[in-house]
Amino acid sequence: MDAAEKLLLMFFILAAVAMFVFVTVAWSTRLPEQEQAEVQHRGYAIRGRWFLGITLFLLAAFFATIPFFPYLAAAEALLPAEKVPVIAQQFVFIMPDHFPLNRRILFEVTSRDVNHGFGIYNPEGQLIAQTQAMPDYVNYLAVTFHQPGHYTVRCLEYCGVGHAIMQKDFTVEGASPTPAPMPMSQPSGTNTVPSSNASNPFE
Amino acid sequence: MQATHSNNSSPGRGVMTLYLVSGLIITALMLLVGLTMRAAQANWLPLPPDFFYALLTLHGAGMIVALAVCAMGALWFLIRRHIELSASLVVLAWVLIMLGVVGVIVATLVGRFGGLYTFLYPLPFDGSWPGWSTGVFLIGLVLVNVGWMIWCLQMLGAVLRAYGGLRGALAWDYVWHREEFQAAGRQPPPPEAFPALVAGFDGLIAGMDATLLGVSLLVRWLDPRVVINPLWAKNLTYFWAHTFANLIIYMLAALIYVGMAHATRRKYHTSTVLVIGWWSSMFFILANYSHHLYMDFVQPGFMQYFSELSSYLTAVPVTAVTVFSALMLVWRSRTRWTLGAIFLYAGLVGWVVGGIGAEIDASIPFNLHLHNTLWVPAHFHTYLLGGCLLFVMGWVFLLLESRSARETSGIMRGLVVALSFGGMVVFLLGFYFGGAYGVPRRYATEPAPGPFIAQFATVGAVIMLIGFTLAFVEGLRLRWNRAVDQPLWPGELKEAPHEG
Ligand SMILES: [Cu+2]
Repeated sequence: MDAAEKLLLMFFILAAVAMFVFVTVAWSTRLPEQEQAEVQHRGYAIRGRWFLGITLFLLAAFFATIPFFPYLAAAEALLPAEKVPVIAQQFVFIMPDHFPLNRRILFEVTSRDVNHGFGIYNPEGQLIAQTQAMPDYVNYLAVTFHQPGHYTVRCLEYCGVGHAIMQKDFTVEGASPTPAPMPMSQPSGTNTVPSSNASNPFE
Repeated sequence: MQATHSNNSSPGRGVMTLYLVSGLIITALMLLVGLTMRAAQANWLPLPPDFFYALLTLHGAGMIVALAVCAMGALWFLIRRHIELSASLVVLAWVLIMLGVVGVIVATLVGRFGGLYTFLYPLPFDGSWPGWSTGVFLIGLVLVNVGWMIWCLQMLGAVLRAYGGLRGALAWDYVWHREEFQAAGRQPPPPEAFPALVAGFDGLIAGMDATLLGVSLLVRWLDPRVVINPLWAKNLTYFWAHTFANLIIYMLAALIYVGMAHATRRKYHTSTVLVIGWWSSMFFILANYSHHLYMDFVQPGFMQYFSELSSYLTAVPVTAVTVFSALMLVWRSRTRWTLGAIFLYAGLVGWVVGGIGAEIDASIPFNLHLHNTLWVPAHFHTYLLGGCLLFVMGWVFLLLESRSARETSGIMRGLVVALSFGGMVVFLLGFYFGGAYGVPRRYATEPAPGPFIAQFATVGAVIMLIGFTLAFVEGLRLRWNRAVDQPLWPGELKEAPHEG
């Protein structure tokens, strides 16, 4: 099951549970009427349990998601990576056309004009990583491509009339005898601490 | 409780009618604009991209303002049942908002301004549209914001005056010093006073933020040498847009408290849980906006953690208080399932289901895959269209039904429900599927499978609009068959005051 199907399934299950509750309660108006005081007496007890249950569930969900946050800890930032500057501008991405397989790439994403989004779609068309491309700021996005093939970058922040056509194709190639040259890659200043990373909870 | 049996509409009802009618007319127009865009994405209607984005800007700004206007009018009326309010002030607010709406329409339809209602700096100044349209759009939104702040001040002032300052309006002593409170024979504010307090308070904070942002952008418009920090502007923009949009549904909770109690023939009282729920909502509504900046890795890290936690916990007061209470009202009651009751109840479903979609998107690991995809319009359409608009329609129908000699036939009710909700579900599913499959939002032409999905969504939207049209016709018939001898509902607790 891919990421899209998992998300939809999760949504549909939760929505179905909610629908079931609403339909059951609406249907109960066909039953003989119950005094409001009586309903409240039982209802408040259920509400107390619901309050506790939902609060604990949401707190647990919060802690469960933290390991999958894309924000890089300082130690991770020091891991070896190919640094690749990406410049977004209306309505193109300036970046290399080829990337090596299984090598950690650290995209240094910025914009020359307005806000853009830098979203990477894998050969199956799934959105695997993204960050914003902002003027005056650099967002660091670490991605390791494990799958060779044809990838597409799409703009994921509305940037004007050409927003929908703002895209860039690149290929990821398997291990070649000589490492693929990285035309745009350059050693970046050591004083900038990359502050982000992308991890995929579905992988 | 003495109901005014006068058949003449009071100033309070007049204000509510003014707000509801104007809000619903704008809503209807914006629904058609939305349908046009979805048909364009389905490749059924050729629209040049600059016009598409102008329509998108109009649709977003127009819809948010229209639904807010409906909520403002209804809540104002409910508060005026308890304390005198100046009708001329709230009409002034209405005039300013409508002038702002005209500005937005002119800027988008004439000037083709396409910077969206989120107008992230510096886009408004870097677009394909003329500079004047940027100015007219910004001035329009500033006018809307001034009208909004007048209304917020009036609401906040009303609840503070009526219930003894902030301490009384918050029902502080009712919660913490219950025995003395009751011994003194005091009553806590009625349930609908809490949406008014929260909208007034949080709304003013959002309004001040919008004023700061609006003035900064207007200064930049007048003098292009001025530079603004784009991250600062993004924070201010989302703080305003999120808070304003979010407050609409919280304001409409007041209609649930009064309307569902009426439909179920039960009583709805203020309780400690309700009060504490609203205290927490008052805080969460302001704290959540930063989830719009999850993919801004330069945003201070603690805000990302904080806004995920806060976005999650928002669900607690909504489900444990408003939704749960409404379910308790309905459970084994003698509810007459008129169109009014059905719409109000269905709106709760939209709120909860949209909330589920929102919580998934508010989870940072999922947000990586959903941020700025169609999942975002999926969840907010679920609770703006399937929640807010249904609350407003439910309220209007309850008002009409309470005074009509006519009863909606079973066939008509069935048709309206089947077409409106059936079409709506298909329309909304288009956004959810598109989002899950990574189709970006705000694309004039979508990559596959976007156009294919948009075709289903367009058909769903047409079916839904047929249902809404039938509902409109039925509403008119209820209005024409008005029984003059019926008492007005909801009764106004005080006699209509003379205007001061
Ligand atoms: Cu873009």
